Amino acid sequence: MSEPKRLLIIDDDPDFVAGLKAILVKAKYDVDVAYNPKSGLQALRTKAYDLLLLDVMMGRGAEGIMIARKLGKDPTLRDLPVLIITGIREQMAFLFPGQAVHPHFVPVDELVEKPVEPKLLLEKVQALMKTAETRKAKSQ
Amino acid sequence: MNTASPEPAAAPPIAAPPDNPLSFVEEIRHLLYASKGNPINTCIQCGTCSATCPVASGGFMDNSPRRIIALIRAGFKDQVLKANTFWYCASCYQCTVRCPRNIDIAELMYGLKRYTVWKAAGNKDLIGPTFTETFVKMILRTGRSYEPVLATSYLFTYGLPEMIQEAQTATVLMLKGRLPLLPARIKRLENFKRVIKHIIPLGDKE
Amino acid sequence: MKTYAYFPGCSLEKMARSYHTSALETCRVLGVELRELEDWNCCGATAYFHVDELLAYTLCARNLAMAEQQKLPVVAPCSGCYKNLYFTRDHLNHDADLAEHINEALAEDNLKFRGDSPVHHLIEVFVKDVGLPALKAKVTHPLKGLRVAPYYGCQILRPRKDKEDVEQPRFFEDLVAACGAEPVHYPLRLTCCGGALIITNREAALSLVRNLLQSAVQAKAAVIVTACPLCQVNLECYQKQVNKEFGTEFHVPVMYFTQLVGLAMGIPPKRLGIGSELVAVMPAIKEARETEPSPAGT
Repeated sequence: MSEPKRLLIIDDDPDFVAGLKAILVKAKYDVDVAYNPKSGLQALRTKAYDLLLLDVMMGRGAEGIMIARKLGKDPTLRDLPVLIITGIREQMAFLFPGQAVHPHFVPVDELVEKPVEPKLLLEKVQALMKTAETRKAKSQ
Repeated sequence: MNTASPEPAAAPPIAAPPDNPLSFVEEIRHLLYASKGNPINTCIQCGTCSATCPVASGGFMDNSPRRIIALIRAGFKDQVLKANTFWYCASCYQCTVRCPRNIDIAELMYGLKRYTVWKAAGNKDLIGPTFTETFVKMILRTGRSYEPVLATSYLFTYGLPEMIQEAQTATVLMLKGRLPLLPARIKRLENFKRVIKHIIPLGDKE
Repeated sequence: MKTYAYFPGCSLEKMARSYHTSALETCRVLGVELRELEDWNCCGATAYFHVDELLAYTLCARNLAMAEQQKLPVVAPCSGCYKNLYFTRDHLNHDADLAEHINEALAEDNLKFRGDSPVHHLIEVFVKDVGLPALKAKVTHPLKGLRVAPYYGCQILRPRKDKEDVEQPRFFEDLVAACGAEPVHYPLRLTCCGGALIITNREAALSLVRNLLQSAVQAKAAVIVTACPLCQVNLECYQKQVNKEFGTEFHVPVMYFTQLVGLAMGIPPKRLGIGSELVAVMPAIKEARETEPSPAGT
């Protein structure tokens, strides 16, 4: 057995996080949680992770976007795969009607909407980490 | 754990006690992580906020600010989100400057507005959410705000008497040269829109 | 001459045009140059702050960044704009991650927020930067006998910025006195006018307006003087509705402090935008002048 993969969740909803974490821990992942963007950024800057699960609407607004953009600019963090989990589409639809196409903030990211089926969640997590690894191997 | 002490004008808690009473107060704490004041769980329920609030003391709020804080701490999430309290906050900050525990109560009211909009969980009968939406849309379109559009677009939805009153005031103001016929626009509007999409990018390709 | 980057705000474009013209006229006499920010955008008022504070900060930061380009301090005549601009600068100066994020957005408009242009309310410029002695020296037509209710409202004072007195301020009374007028004791001078609620909760807003008018009448004020376009519009334009709703008969003129100062400095009323009110100001001024004619008065 290899080392368990380390995941970070940044999300401010304790109930949602509890559910998410239970699914991931059961699938043998090592999971850290940050409940606000500030401690999330702190965790990312102090510890190495294999994947980030990121909420969008937190604190003062779309702070998840702020984190994603920061990762994209940071050469040490930009290869971290990010799964954006959000209910943003319905709330933000009035601002920007049309299809929910999300721009890519880092090379490997994907957006799924809340609520997330456990099976789909685990598939996405695995797939993103795999894509990131393949990408890394290619560039070396 | 604190429970809400009923105040004369407010409705008694009707919701069943929540399964996990701590998670809502935690969530609100996270929501206000950048707020400068103390967290709401340092509230001593003194009632200064409610007494000093011109809207609550005028009897217009279904739950006073103090009661909202008590309900949050007791985990009555549904009741909090359906309250009119934060939509009727006049943003006068009297509660914030007078709170002896230095809690930024006005910021809590803003936080609850955001939260209910994000979760689409608020009281559907209130004008506040629609107004917010209209206002934001207009500014994103033109860069500036324009009173007549604001007044009419939501009042059409919300009752004729107000609409007529508003139209009368508007006509008089227009004759006095105080209402513009067309909204002003900023010049670098395309840049402006791109600036905004940087902050809220979803729903469109960059 | 002291120069400021002037942020008029949406209300002053039309609804509160007289505040704009009287600000320009009085500042000229006081030796203050107001250089209007080119291509300014809405400050976001309070409605933005509900949905997305990051967006609200971005809007304000764009205006601040343009003022910084000119290396000028910012002045806003509207209390709402003032509060938004002031606290945006404060938040961005204390949160490097936030400032970085917003600056990336502003780069789309070739702007950058640095945080070095302080933000003032126009009344602050009159009271502190120009100073009351200097202002008094320009008063040629003191408004003797005019009983004035100085209405502070909310957002000039609150939230607290530093250690200033938010409970017992005096500067507005002192400004009124410097114009030769008589500041009355106005118990509700710090109480909200409900400007933000006129749309979302009309009943509550009208009731707050009624209280303020009543308090001014009880204090035997001839005029209410404000430093905010929202307060002015709320107190003046909705008087008719208040009277209808509550069976009252209020007829209280509500003017801007810049108009009061302008009249005291002998600027013709028309150039101060006086004449566009729904409740005329001049009868009250004339009445005071007739009762107590001042030597230099007209």
